[in-house]
Amino acid sequence: MAADPITFERASVVYGNGVRGLDDVSLTLEPGQFVVVVGLSGAGKSTLLRTINGLVPVTGGDVRLGATSVRDARGGDLRQLRARIGMVFQDYRLVKRLSVLQNVLLGRLAAVPTWRTLLGLWPKEDVAIAQQALEQVGIGDRAHVRASQLSGGQQQRVGIARALAQRPSVILADEPVASLDPITSHRVMEDLVRINRELGITVLINLHFLDLAKQYGERIIGLRQGKLVFDGRGETVTDNDFAEIYGRAMTDDDVLTESS
Amino acid sequence: MSADGSARPIESGAGPTPPPDPWRARVRNGVVALVLGALTAWSVRGTGFDLGELFSNLKQAQRLIDDSLPPAWGFLPRLWDPFLETLQIAYVSAVVGGLIALPLAVLSARPIAPLRAVYLVSRNAMNLLRTMPDLFWAMLFASAVGFGPFAGTLALSVFTVAVVAKLLSESMEAIDLGVLEAVRASGGGWFETVAYGVLPQVLPQYVSYLLYAFELNIRASVVLGLVGAGGVGVVLKSQLAMFDYARVTMIVLAIFVVVLMIETVSEFARRRLVGEIATGRR
Repeated sequence: MAADPITFERASVVYGNGVRGLDDVSLTLEPGQFVVVVGLSGAGKSTLLRTINGLVPVTGGDVRLGATSVRDARGGDLRQLRARIGMVFQDYRLVKRLSVLQNVLLGRLAAVPTWRTLLGLWPKEDVAIAQQALEQVGIGDRAHVRASQLSGGQQQRVGIARALAQRPSVILADEPVASLDPITSHRVMEDLVRINRELGITVLINLHFLDLAKQYGERIIGLRQGKLVFDGRGETVTDNDFAEIYGRAMTDDDVLTESS
Repeated sequence: MSADGSARPIESGAGPTPPPDPWRARVRNGVVALVLGALTAWSVRGTGFDLGELFSNLKQAQRLIDDSLPPAWGFLPRLWDPFLETLQIAYVSAVVGGLIALPLAVLSARPIAPLRAVYLVSRNAMNLLRTMPDLFWAMLFASAVGFGPFAGTLALSVFTVAVVAKLLSESMEAIDLGVLEAVRASGGGWFETVAYGVLPQVLPQYVSYLLYAFELNIRASVVLGLVGAGGVGVVLKSQLAMFDYARVTMIVLAIFVVVLMIETVSEFARRRLVGEIATGRR
């Protein structure tokens, strides 16, 4: 797995409607780190993640993966850059009418010639990679089921497998457990931790549950109104730090469970 | 099927409205009634609409009905081949038109079209196709390839493109766009985004629209047959010209039964397809 740091160099995003998504953020994420991003909704967490794979273009500064500038990447270069970065979403974003395996194969899109993917003629080795990715998240036996027939937790595992099938050096997870119950949430978080430890993939996760952030975050980054306001180790972060990031006191809504 | 712009949010009013002045409403309603009445009178004069004339001519209608009944049952076997031709025209038009409609719908769906300029050109081309009546296309193609089933098929293919592309592009604008972002995030290009993000989501609707176009094409091909574009309409026209009303009744009856049968089957299939959409989600 390529070990590339992610570097934010005074990165800013101003949306077309004038909203500031990201405000002058400078930051380096070392390869293999497990990083949790916290902040209120609208603080720029999703924007931060999406500037790394160019889904949201920076309007100032730059973001780099290794030596590659995301800002300058276009067309085929951008596709190859995105292939190095897996992404997991809150609402899974699977093609519900396709099988689980077909969904995971989408992670091979950039590695397989377009004429083959359009005809569904996936090379054997790519099918093997997709199947292996499913085994890695423990649902290898569901490969030929329709994605819509799985439970939420299983669908999110398919989403993670799709990201893994890219053989990425980074996985971005945008609120990956926000639609799941507490027990399933912990299982999915543990999957992501395992992927990080065993495969050395850098993981960057947006979370709004602070107990989860504290429990799993090797490093915690806090955003407020698009600005970087906190950067510290997970075990040393205090409720005061969270109050500082949120700009208000903690409430019960900010934690997943009282007893975890 | 679906009305234009039905998905737009309702604009909220500016605060509570004061109670309406009753006299203003009465005057307004009176003016509206007067205008509508004048418009009706003007149109009646223009069209020579006369109920008295209708009833005084009922005797003639009685003669027509006498001539038309009973239907000429013996003529039925000779309708077999023209009916097959009608079905073939409708089917080929649905297939050819449906294939052309697919890319046109993709380019006419705002969030999917690769460029705004492409979307605008495609959307306007689609609307232009739709404003032209099918008779116009039949005349146009008849002058190009001569009267006959081929001209009718071409005309109905264009008609199918117009109907299916419009409905399908609307379905495409209503899909879950999150999947498209996921395909893009995996490194997928535009074609892959369409193939994996868009098409699986609208496939049931697409098949349903093709069936609907096939239904419409059968009815339309009867009308086009009247101008010589093949199928059972040609026979209808020739029997009308010979004033053989018993045969005309037979033809109309047969058309009624065939259209009803195909609509029933098609509607059943379409309901099954749409049902699948309803249960396929989450």
